[in-house]
Amino acid sequence: MGSDLFEVGINFIKIAFIFLLMVQMVPFLVWAERRGSAFIQNRFGPNRIGPLGLMQNLADLVKFLCKEDFLGHKGRKSFFYSAPVLSLIPAALAFGAIPLSTPIEVEAFKWLGQTWGPYTFYFQSFVISIGVVFVLGVSSLAVYSLLLAGWSSGSKFSLYGALRASAQAISYELALSLSIVGVLLLFNTFSFSEIVAAQNGPLQFYFFGEPVKLAFLPNWGIFYQPLGALLLFVALFAEANRLPFDLPEAEAELVAGYHTEYGGVKIIMFYMGEYGHMLVASALMVTFYFGGYTLWPFLTPDTLKSFFHFLSSTGQSILTALVLHLVFLIKLLFFLWIFIWVRWTLPRFRYDQLMDLGWKTLLPWALVNTVITGIGVFLMRGV
Amino acid sequence: MEIELNHFLIVSLLLFVIGFFGVLARRNLLIILMSIELMLNAVNLSFVSFSQFYNLLSAQVAAFFVMTISAAEAGVGLALIVLISRRWTQMDLFVLEDSKYTDPV
Amino acid sequence: MDFLFILFSALALYGAVITVTHKDMVICALHLAGSMLALAGLFFILGAHFIAGVQVLVYAGAVMVLFIMVVMLFDLKRKKETLFSKGLWMKLASLFFLSGLIVGIFPFSLHLFPPRSMETIQKTSTKDLSSLLFIDYVLAFEVLGILLLLIAVGVAVLCRQRPFLQTPSEKE
Repeated sequence: MGSDLFEVGINFIKIAFIFLLMVQMVPFLVWAERRGSAFIQNRFGPNRIGPLGLMQNLADLVKFLCKEDFLGHKGRKSFFYSAPVLSLIPAALAFGAIPLSTPIEVEAFKWLGQTWGPYTFYFQSFVISIGVVFVLGVSSLAVYSLLLAGWSSGSKFSLYGALRASAQAISYELALSLSIVGVLLLFNTFSFSEIVAAQNGPLQFYFFGEPVKLAFLPNWGIFYQPLGALLLFVALFAEANRLPFDLPEAEAELVAGYHTEYGGVKIIMFYMGEYGHMLVASALMVTFYFGGYTLWPFLTPDTLKSFFHFLSSTGQSILTALVLHLVFLIKLLFFLWIFIWVRWTLPRFRYDQLMDLGWKTLLPWALVNTVITGIGVFLMRGV
Repeated sequence: MEIELNHFLIVSLLLFVIGFFGVLARRNLLIILMSIELMLNAVNLSFVSFSQFYNLLSAQVAAFFVMTISAAEAGVGLALIVLISRRWTQMDLFVLEDSKYTDPV
Repeated sequence: MDFLFILFSALALYGAVITVTHKDMVICALHLAGSMLALAGLFFILGAHFIAGVQVLVYAGAVMVLFIMVVMLFDLKRKKETLFSKGLWMKLASLFFLSGLIVGIFPFSLHLFPPRSMETIQKTSTKDLSSLLFIDYVLAFEVLGILLLLIAVGVAVLCRQRPFLQTPSEKE
């Protein structure tokens, strides 16, 4: 956590900030979803409470808090109450492992009559050398909350919803992992920071030993992995249980899903978990394929540091990190908007179509992508 | 007291023995399968601790193979248990003993 | 480090004990999943980060989810077997012998291997591990791939629409 009190304190504040960033995105995303759906369907959406209907979520929250707390007589109380909390944990852990900006380097300074040594604060909750495997493993734990919620409700419809949802999650996890293998082959590392650093620069590679440089394009993963990006995006839709893969919560035709028996604050927790998965999915897309927090050639750590040359090196570092964090957030919001856009554009799949798409389309194409990437990396290596 | 290799090995031993007890004492097929998984995990712990303390990476490769094989074993075991529970409508080990002579075709 | 070791090993042992003794299979499976997560924590403090990640991904994320799905699907209304319902004497005998095993080994086990400090261990480099896996042990790796393919085909054959094991009424 840190060597002295200052570093430990800042790290705690940082972890709380990143968690709150994730949680506070949710009301904003709900608002964007409702207004966006209204925009797409040519209606008004919530526009009465507050400017542009922004206070609508607050009113909804009051309504949810006042709801009755009930449990069917066959339900299991402890599991019933712990399942919504469990749905939030994997998303929060996974989001904490993704770097949101460059590390902040603080020089040694004097404060309270004491010298505080130079620090490096990473703009992520925890720095792990196996970042990609960690995110995959942690987000595979999200299935537990669905299964527990469905089982502990003591209702057949909930149980069937939970089994449907977990079968879907397990099936799409294969395609998800296999499409990430292409990225790992390309960047040759498990660490998110190194993946972002490799994408910061002009598009250049070797072709049969000849260097090729396309200086007008950034070195983003999407130019090497277009098929992998598409497959990963589809698999992430399914993992986040978003439409067109939202069979777990098809309330009209399948009696909702694992959360049929839930109400009040507990269902808000489930929604927060779902939006958290959306955030993690968008952050993964941005980090793997769209340059992470850098935007070559204008907004890179080096150019920003030279732009803020009139400040001390600590100030340069802080301002650079903040600007790059803003870049990351803008890219993130773009992908979140695509999530919302697709939800109100495509109809829902039937269950057999969903399974066919996962096992007969995504999985073989992900294998093809892995083989092609392997050959491509062999041909484009520098030696 | 400092934590060193032998402590990890004791944890591994205890886990293995608990799993072994589960295989001997329980009659529920699924729980027997879970106990086998537990034993494999205990072996994995001793593999990994040896590999880290003696700097032998090949022990970690062995742990990797154990994981793969136990996943495969869980797949086949679960399929068989599902079939048995469909056929004899329970998951007790002793149904297999009672129905020794019924031809399963 | 000592605190983390004690925490994770206590969690792993607690989960294991509940797994083999509880009568409710869902709770057994959940505790086994918790035990495996605690083992992943032990791997992590040993410095084997990749194995820890794979442990979470494979065991907690896939194998135990399959177990829990099967439990939930097929054991809704069955009568529950407790540890002491039948064959109590055999169980007590096996417990007696196994505890004898532990008591016999325990005094030696603290001095079984020359003590090595946790300071000497270093983090496993995933690159070294992968070169070992894909170069030195590549034959075993390929054989495992074939094994997994066989398993997939075998399970698909076992679970096809007309089951291999039929009920007596279907046999007529």
